[in-house]
Amino acid sequence: MATETVGGVALAPPTSVGDGRAARLRQLAPFLPAGLILVGLFFVPIALMFVFSLWDTTENLDIVPTWDLHNYQAFFDSPTYVRTLAKTMIMGAGVTLISLVAAFVVAYFLARYVSRRWARLALLFIIVPFWTSYLLRVYSWQAILGEKGALNQVLMGLGVISEPSRLFVYNDVGTFIVLTYVYLPFAILVLYASLDRFDFTQLTAAQDLGANPARAFRHVLIPQIRPGIITACIFVFIPILGEFLTPSMVGGASGFLIANLVANFFTNALVPEGAAVGFMIAAFVLILLIVFRKYLRVEDVYARG
Amino acid sequence: MTVFDQAYSRRTFLKASGAAGVAVSLGGVTAACNLIGGQGGTINWMTWGDHWIQSQLDAIAKETNVTTSISELAGNAQGFAKVKEVKGQLDKISGDALWVPDAYNKEGLIEPFDINELKVASQLFPFARQFPIWTTSEGYLGYPFGWSPISIYYDPANVTGNPDSWEVILDPKYKGKVVVENQPEEIVAYMARAAGFDKPYDLTDEQLATVKGLLEQLKPNILRFAQQATDSVAAMVSGEAWLITGNIGNEDRVKKDGGPEIKGFIPKEGTVAWQDAEMVVKEGANKALVLPFLEKSQQAEYIAENFLTHGRPLFNEKAYEVLVNQGHKDQADRYHYHDAEEVLGQSVLKGPGTSTEKSIKLFQEVFGA
Repeated sequence: MATETVGGVALAPPTSVGDGRAARLRQLAPFLPAGLILVGLFFVPIALMFVFSLWDTTENLDIVPTWDLHNYQAFFDSPTYVRTLAKTMIMGAGVTLISLVAAFVVAYFLARYVSRRWARLALLFIIVPFWTSYLLRVYSWQAILGEKGALNQVLMGLGVISEPSRLFVYNDVGTFIVLTYVYLPFAILVLYASLDRFDFTQLTAAQDLGANPARAFRHVLIPQIRPGIITACIFVFIPILGEFLTPSMVGGASGFLIANLVANFFTNALVPEGAAVGFMIAAFVLILLIVFRKYLRVEDVYARG
Repeated sequence: MTVFDQAYSRRTFLKASGAAGVAVSLGGVTAACNLIGGQGGTINWMTWGDHWIQSQLDAIAKETNVTTSISELAGNAQGFAKVKEVKGQLDKISGDALWVPDAYNKEGLIEPFDINELKVASQLFPFARQFPIWTTSEGYLGYPFGWSPISIYYDPANVTGNPDSWEVILDPKYKGKVVVENQPEEIVAYMARAAGFDKPYDLTDEQLATVKGLLEQLKPNILRFAQQATDSVAAMVSGEAWLITGNIGNEDRVKKDGGPEIKGFIPKEGTVAWQDAEMVVKEGANKALVLPFLEKSQQAEYIAENFLTHGRPLFNEKAYEVLVNQGHKDQADRYHYHDAEEVLGQSVLKGPGTSTEKSIKLFQEVFGA
């Protein structure tokens, strides 16, 4: 009978089918706390939210079980809600794209041309803003982008504009700028982790074998950092689907994203309506993760250590 | 060998983790029991940010050993839904005018009390102890706190023509220059008043359609929604907003914060008004502490201080005397401290209505993308 090993440690061979099952259960025991947390803090709330989404709010703001899909139907019957969801996805995709490009440039430079010691110092500076609260950072952006803000002062000082512009705040541009600022560091950290493990001599080798730089880049570098790219996309795109603070602070009256509608539903006691929209976002994220998972092979991450 | 280098079996590890978890839980429970079971205790209070002052709470805690755990109230609908949801986790809740009888009391969520049993109630204006909307055979539904009609404030340097109507905030001239608080049902109510509807919380579908048109007209004029009253004031101070809606006293708050001289008016079509009460939550675990707490916290000196800090009229008549003695008579009179009956009588009191749910959905439809 072959001896089973886990993590290099030999396990005693099971003496019967029952012992084997017991041994396997024992091996699963360490996953129990995480499993309970996942079930208790994720699956149960999601299930509750789904149940609420099938109920209704009365004129008296009571929640009554109606067990139907009318909240979902109401969502899709309202062009505003659908437009707001679409706008949120476009905003998320745009911020993700810009963040990826900007983060790649920074991470590539740090990984390839900067010593590890200085790179770590640079990364430390990149995450310094996280030492202050999100709310404070968004308030700061309100001050920077506002009519009397630093950006307008600089542009006026340079003679680019003659009077303060409101182009940068209380609209979608402001939301885009601040969301990019908020999520860019996540993309940089993830891409740097990928690029740091990449052997850049492979690019030279590819070029020695006749590939032009773009081809070497596309066929050698990108496939090897694909898990990092996908992870960066997940880290940036998915949280934006739930963003309501930034749009409410710098987005103005026309800057609502879908989470602002969800928040308004909940703060005004329309829980089933909010739950339906929230559940749709959660379902969309789940589908997205399943799709990403197809391209994110876990062994890619671990095989290269 | 350190403790970290020792080899642990899975069983030992799980046992240790379990024991640690139990210890942490027991510690929390014991701490909570000590707090509640000992002298004093903690009142869980959901309220607006202007109902208390930290120094007031500190002084009461020092004197009585009664502390407060405050959660911020964003709106009446939210507070009402929260009490229904958490019941005994809250002991005290602040609420507006008709929300008190038509929502909280109707649902049996609050405990009426004999207001005249509170010594401090003798400091209130007599009419405040007998508001018909808060009087029931079981007792008074809440302790009267503050009040104000919603007015429009404008910067006369930029807004011309001595406006007197809701129409000014719909004027395309003021695109992106209006800031209002993010309270969907109230914004719908303002537009209902602008349209001349007398019952802004009980709108018919036809009236809602009219209001929708006005909201669409309002949307481009809104610079942003303020999360609280101080945000509106800040927008006026910075010059970003030329028009804001808000409580009595905004002209002084803007000036005090370094902003321009602004003017305010109650729209000729009529407005909505709030009048707050402090209610005892029927199932509150520490509800017994609420009336003794009110006895301390509603004393005229604290109310006068609250007036000077947050600047809108309150129902405590003795606090008016304190303000006069302190040299603030002019400010109190300008804020109609003595005119509650008259001013509130001309306004529609905030309350839940038959169209609250539809109003919120209407707001969402207009202000979504």
